[in-house]
Amino acid sequence: MRRWRQVRRNPKIVTGVAILGLFVLVIVANPLLWATVWDGQERLYDPVIGFDHMIIHPSAPSGAHWLGTDSLGRDVTSMFTLAARSSVTVAVAAALVSGVVSLCLGSLAAYHRKWVDAVVTHTSDAMVLLPALLAVWVVGLGRPDASFGALQVGAVFGLVYGLGPATAAVRAAGLVVMARPFVEAARLVGAGGYWTMSRHLWPHLVPHAAVQAMIGVTGAIVAEAFLNFRSAVGGGIGFGYLVYEGLTWQEMLAGLRDIPWWVLLTGTLGITMLAAAFYLIGIGLREVFDPRGVRTRRRRVSAS
Amino acid sequence: MVTFLGRRLLWAAVTLVIYLTLVFFFVQWWVPIDFSSQFAIGGGQAEAAERLGLDRPLPVRYFEYMGSLLSGDLGDSLSGGSVGEMIAEAAPLTILVFAVGAVIAYVVGELLGRIAAWRRGTASGSFVSLLGVLSATVFPPFLVFVLVRYMRQPMVSLRNLLGLPSDSLAIWRESRVEQDEVLALLALALLGAVIGGLVVRAYAHRHRIRWLALAAFPVNLAAAIATLFAVGVGAEAIDLLYRVDYSTSIGSGSPVLVLLGVVLLSFGQVLFMMRVGIEDESDEYYVLSARAKGLSEREVRDVHVARNALIPTLAASFLALPTLLAGMVIVEFELEVHGLSTLFFEAVEVQDIPLMMGVLVVLGLLGVALRLATDLVIAHLDPRQRKAAV
Repeated sequence: MRRWRQVRRNPKIVTGVAILGLFVLVIVANPLLWATVWDGQERLYDPVIGFDHMIIHPSAPSGAHWLGTDSLGRDVTSMFTLAARSSVTVAVAAALVSGVVSLCLGSLAAYHRKWVDAVVTHTSDAMVLLPALLAVWVVGLGRPDASFGALQVGAVFGLVYGLGPATAAVRAAGLVVMARPFVEAARLVGAGGYWTMSRHLWPHLVPHAAVQAMIGVTGAIVAEAFLNFRSAVGGGIGFGYLVYEGLTWQEMLAGLRDIPWWVLLTGTLGITMLAAAFYLIGIGLREVFDPRGVRTRRRRVSAS
Repeated sequence: MVTFLGRRLLWAAVTLVIYLTLVFFFVQWWVPIDFSSQFAIGGGQAEAAERLGLDRPLPVRYFEYMGSLLSGDLGDSLSGGSVGEMIAEAAPLTILVFAVGAVIAYVVGELLGRIAAWRRGTASGSFVSLLGVLSATVFPPFLVFVLVRYMRQPMVSLRNLLGLPSDSLAIWRESRVEQDEVLALLALALLGAVIGGLVVRAYAHRHRIRWLALAAFPVNLAAAIATLFAVGVGAEAIDLLYRVDYSTSIGSGSPVLVLLGVVLLSFGQVLFMMRVGIEDESDEYYVLSARAKGLSEREVRDVHVARNALIPTLAASFLALPTLLAGMVIVEFELEVHGLSTLFFEAVEVQDIPLMMGVLVVLGLLGVALRLATDLVIAHLDPRQRKAAV
């Protein structure tokens, strides 16, 4: 429980979780707003076809449109709350897939050594060379329908990232745990493979896999936003699409009028804040659990 | 050291073969749509598939591909030209920019990481950490937009300051040198500056000359540019780095902006790796005894802790490579610089599998080479690693 207290007191983890909480609120706000403020006003607030005839677009934030409207007259609040859902879906899918893959392969390699270890290590060494973004792009492009949406992007990203850097890191941490006396003791009393892994290896490796997953998720969010920005996959409304909307207006009317900052910043801040939340949790967990795993036990000398 | 080198080379070969196999089947299976239909010019789809060799079974194609790779042949692009030539044309700029950018990002990230670790808990330490988080999480197209929009004026002023005409065409019309030659000279000068910077910095660290360590990179880069002007290709070189064409598109095709983007996107990751490394090392007994000896805090940090923290930082930075590459690829693509990223995305858009494979092969080769170099540096820094199991 000492670790749990460290986790709760780590400012990075607390900040990250708080930002994530904000995003959950934003996602929940979408149906709530539809049920209350926007009830029956699809014509004005629909994220795809909404248009307000009363004002010139793009319009700056106002009472009727809290985050303003984009160049096509759509309400940015409505788009933003919808976009948050797909970005968070990507993040959760990528985190789960990469976490599970790296935990399974990493612990198997560390436990069995020999040929299992050789196969896992070489595969992960090879997968490290392949940027997950490129893999997602290869798979996703040419599937512009909804069959390759946020969930699929997250899964493919998580798979490539999980097989590569995450597995390498978890395996390294696993080797350190395997050298600890309690593993030897478990073996002496005749514990089998599954028992040793589930009782002794996994509890120590879960935080390490979590660190890798959180840091990987940062890349997944940016990747999905980028594909969304290029409208390469899905074609739905995401943070990347908001950034795109903000930028193309400037291109069309270069010099005549400044870009709609509220659209651009809503999109880009959405991406950065969500990615930063996971990144902060990741480096916070890394600080608490020391997953470099270079040393098994160290005598702590208090730093000044 | 020789057996160590041999083992690492063997490792590199095996890894490369596994990588190529994985990538080959990944691309063949997962590229959507039967892409032969796009190249069915004149004849039918079946004929196009036969002409492109797509009708034969996958394993046969796999062994053929690997065989031709061994002889250095990357095959032909589905749209005609030789993949090898297309890559040879696009790769130098990408590799140059990435190499120079990565080294600068590393130097910046390491310096800021030291500051963040040593001032943890203070306002300046938190600010540096915040910069690091922003660097690691900013949306690359937004960064590109900011760079293009706000670097334009300073860059144009810089060009005017150096006495360059504001029009790119005017420079090349009067110039007697080819663009390729200037690019080669520029690459040589920049790589020289970076290596020189690293050497001077190492020397300054060893002899504890603080100002020299900080000045090493700026001075070397300035010297490289000055050399280019002395040789007589200064104007052309600067123009290659930052073009002034009045296109209104988002990108403006300027390698120097790609370089800036790479540095800004990458230093954050290095910062946190260095910071974790330093914080771990600061708990060691040797730090206590260094303090007890009466060394100043700066000496404890720079001479004892930072040097030991370097090894895990280097090892960890390799695992961050795919993330760094992804940022680099997006920046290069968005700035419309003709490089490997642009080539790759064009290939993906028309589902040109040989070209796609070609770029991925080059990425793999570069990655393995980089990993070997990192391992050698680590082995040099830490003799224990030479004996450790591979």
